[in-house]
Amino acid sequence: MFNSINNRISQVHLTSDVKQTIVAMLGVTFGISMYIFMTGFMSGVNDTQADLAFSALAHVRIYNDGPADNSNIAKKVFPNDIINVRNAKVIKYTDGIKNSTAILATLAKQKDITGFTSQVNVNVFFKNAGNKVNGVVSGVDVTNEDKVYGSSKHMIQGNWNELKYRSDGIFVGVELARVLGLKMDDNVNILTSDGVSRNYKVIGVFRTDVFSVDKSKAYIAINAARQLLGVNQDYVTDIQIDMVDYNNTQPLIDNIKSLIPYKVESWQMGNQQLVAGSSLRDTIARAVSLTILLVAGFGIYNIMNMTINQKIREIAILKAMGFSGSDVTKIFLTQAIIIGILGGCVGMVLGYIISRLVNRVKFEIAGMHHLPMTYYPHNYILAFMFGLITTFVAGYLPAHKASKIDPVSILRG
Amino acid sequence: MTDTILKADNIVKYFYEPEKFQVLKGISFEVKKGEFLALIGKSGCGKSTLMYVLSTMDTDYEGSLTIKDTLLTKQSQNQLAAFRNENIGFVFQFHYLLPEFSALENVMIPALKLKRYSKAEIEEKAYKNLEMLGLKDQALKRVTKLSGGQQQRVAIARALINDPAIIMGDEPTGNLDTANTQIVFDIFRELARERNQTIIAVTHDDDFAKNCDRIIEMKDGQIV
Ligand SMILES: Nc1ncnc2c1ncn2[C@@H]1O[C@H](COP(=O)(O)OP(=O)(O)OP(=O)(O)O)[C@@H](O)[C@H]1O
Ligand SMILES: [Mg+2]
Repeated sequence: MFNSINNRISQVHLTSDVKQTIVAMLGVTFGISMYIFMTGFMSGVNDTQADLAFSALAHVRIYNDGPADNSNIAKKVFPNDIINVRNAKVIKYTDGIKNSTAILATLAKQKDITGFTSQVNVNVFFKNAGNKVNGVVSGVDVTNEDKVYGSSKHMIQGNWNELKYRSDGIFVGVELARVLGLKMDDNVNILTSDGVSRNYKVIGVFRTDVFSVDKSKAYIAINAARQLLGVNQDYVTDIQIDMVDYNNTQPLIDNIKSLIPYKVESWQMGNQQLVAGSSLRDTIARAVSLTILLVAGFGIYNIMNMTINQKIREIAILKAMGFSGSDVTKIFLTQAIIIGILGGCVGMVLGYIISRLVNRVKFEIAGMHHLPMTYYPHNYILAFMFGLITTFVAGYLPAHKASKIDPVSILRG
Repeated sequence: MTDTILKADNIVKYFYEPEKFQVLKGISFEVKKGEFLALIGKSGCGKSTLMYVLSTMDTDYEGSLTIKDTLLTKQSQNQLAAFRNENIGFVFQFHYLLPEFSALENVMIPALKLKRYSKAEIEEKAYKNLEMLGLKDQALKRVTKLSGGQQQRVAIARALINDPAIIMGDEPTGNLDTANTQIVFDIFRELARERNQTIIAVTHDDDFAKNCDRIIEMKDGQIV
């Protein structure tokens, strides 16, 4: 129940010492704006990191993990005996994915997938005149590769779609081109581990800003790669999948694992360091901003305590006139909550402004131009909620203390 | 007119600071409805202390207190607060007003808390009370801008706002000149006679006391 005289008293208390009210409000404002800035910045960093990583990395990858180690077959039959097989070897049965059409059909039925692409990746030596560099040539499905990786965005020379029509064409990484001294329309020789050698014409140069990729990778059309290896039309080495939510790869993996006789691996499994980095940043952001809110909470607690000590006689008079303990609690808690709401609103605006300003700071590394920043509404709402909870707790303790004041002991003097 | 409104039975109170000291030494008396009672006695004999007990604010005493057939001893603070709000108007020895509010709001607050009438009715009544005490033109001033005597009259207007069954005053006219003292006395007199409200007033003013229905004199924590 809302007693309007209680609200009126709260209002008078807040407006009769505006300076003190503003100081208390600024505490919340500061806490909330810092919270918004910190979380916006950290998730900006995480998103940038993900963008960078996913320019060379799919969310889920299917590949042939190599055969199981069956070299000590006798051990499987007699597990308790000591059996020694001399000079055992892992026999290579298969290599790559042979029945890719069936797998692609399975994938097409899955939801939460935004795209997938097949690749034939071959470890090769790139040779130009005397220079020799080892790396990977990736035979790609031109259209789907672009869908999953946005590869066309990385082209600095040439046109991504041209690869479709040029079975002799190759795109090389910018660093690779530099090391080999390659320019557009130059020829580059490729040598596979099986000793097959072939010439391609440079029809494009790309830069992903991931150095290790730019210095060792090249793209050719997928059929050109199959020709290079002398394999049939169904052969692929990797199937790369992109998902709606890259943080939520597990359900898909659980779904298709039993349907696909190859290794199904999420980016998280293959890149623990990225997962660790982003969750550590999240933890730091949360710890720092909660600390700030806590400090702001202490500020409010102190100011409320001070207010209540100043107004101890008024509280005693109110109680003498028949206000109950819970009336007194309400009067002061209302003040705290109003401080929290006002401070929170100003804090959201200030947080947004700070974020905008930081977002403008120049930062030119790895393809970035400015410091990264996100403006997710849920972070703003969360900050506001945290701010309100903090003021509620920080206001409740002194308000509760005020409700326990014994009027006679104050009025008697 | 003859039924008892307040009954104090063997009230004993100690102060423990700075040393144990018995202020009230077994006080028993009854007050009839509509009675105008004066409480007199030398300074320091325990009048204010007794008034705090009678007003239900001080609960740290022995003995029992009954007002309007309700035994108030041992009731909770919140129950007592609600009871005070409705039934007791109190004028403190040092007129305690809320400094951040106007005279009018100070008078209105107990009625806004009680919510027996609408805000407009309360405001009208508050104006009437202030006018009665010669403060109509001061109604919208902050109470800190008023003189001591004006503040005391605001406190009296506030004590009357809920038409309490009992009005208790601890030297309610202590800061007033003879003319204003006479006004306050007449108001009390009329409330007791016309509206059957009970008045208990501590006073050092012999003329004031003489004209009351009954005088209770205290000495060293006892009634004589
Ligand atoms: N809070 C207190 N702690 C200890 N002793 C107190 C306290 N308040 C009052 N006393 C003592 O109790 C006695 C009675 O005080 P009280 O205020 O009731 O006197 P009084 O009759 O109202 O006097 P006056 O006419 O001057 O107002 C006094 O001796 C006083 O010193
Ligand atoms: Mg006194």
